Amino acid sequence: MTKQIDLEADIQRLLAEHDRIAEQGVTVHQRENVLILGGEVESAQRRDEICRQIAARYPDLEIACDIGITRTQAPAEVEEIS
Amino acid sequence: MIRIAAVGDVHVDKDVVGRYRPALEELPDQADALLIAGDLTRHGTVEEAECFATEFGGLAVPVVVVLGNHDHQSDQQEGLTKVLTDAGITVLEGDATVLELNGHRLGIAGTKGFGGGFNGACASNFGEREMKDFVGTSERYAAALRAALRSVEECDALVALTHYAPVPETLAGEPPEIFAFLGCYQLGQAIDEAPTTLALHGHAHHGSERGRTPGGVPVRNVAHPVIKQAYNVYQLLTDTVDTRDTALANA
Ligand SMILES: [Fe+2]
Ligand SMILES: [Fe+2]
Repeated sequence: MTKQIDLEADIQRLLAEHDRIAEQGVTVHQRENVLILGGEVESAQRRDEICRQIAARYPDLEIACDIGITRTQAPAEVEEIS
Repeated sequence: MIRIAAVGDVHVDKDVVGRYRPALEELPDQADALLIAGDLTRHGTVEEAECFATEFGGLAVPVVVVLGNHDHQSDQQEGLTKVLTDAGITVLEGDATVLELNGHRLGIAGTKGFGGGFNGACASNFGEREMKDFVGTSERYAAALRAALRSVEECDALVALTHYAPVPETLAGEPPEIFAFLGCYQLGQAIDEAPTTLALHGHAHHGSERGRTPGGVPVRNVAHPVIKQAYNVYQLLTDTVDTRDTALANA
């Protein structure tokens, strides 16, 4: 079994370097045998692909996917810069 | 008064086309220009650039962008830049543009920037060739930003647009161990050496929104996961008189 600290590095590299993912903004935490994924991505397809790839690489780990899709509504406020 | 909309890290590919469009259609009511702080695409391919141009092109306000590290992934920066330019989007790298908005001149100087770190935790231009190449790259991008900011001759407001961060404050929320990959203090120095009104950057998806350079210039991290909406709007030159008439504005 991979050491916990290496596991996170391994997953971060998988997410960044995998051709179909290229994400650097996903967080990875391990709690007992559950891998908790967080952060936000631009589409539901990307979130699902991330979970699919990690599940395929670590079939023994349970994955909890808390990755959100960043909202794209127009802003309601203006910030004055001074 | 000028209102600028800004966002970064939109990472467009086929699956994102259409998501921003409803908010972008509202842009003319919200702002006078749109600035995008890099990571326009996922892998920096020409196909993804075409998706970006579909989503962010043909707007009723000028669009000015810099590239990010993702836009360099496929080594197709030139092809990507051409697609954007053909779609009417201004791409800055070590240069500047001036927009005439409401009778005011808004100067925008841009570069991608690079990592290198900040006070107390930065790389030095010393030792192995690889290390000197790394820090040399930080310095080259900072020099490009400095020259771009200084090239703007007359303007009422001056914005520095980068992908990498010029200060560590807007990285708060990211692991401190990776700050050196998220920005460098040399960008902040370049910003402070010019009469910069506002500095915008992206790249730090888990960072925070607000900071200031050591010289007091407001810095905003507009990475999409940080601002959590299609774009933020910043108001500059609040107490100035506008000239709505374009003929007068250009006189
Ligand atoms: Fe990004
Ligand atoms: Fe980035």
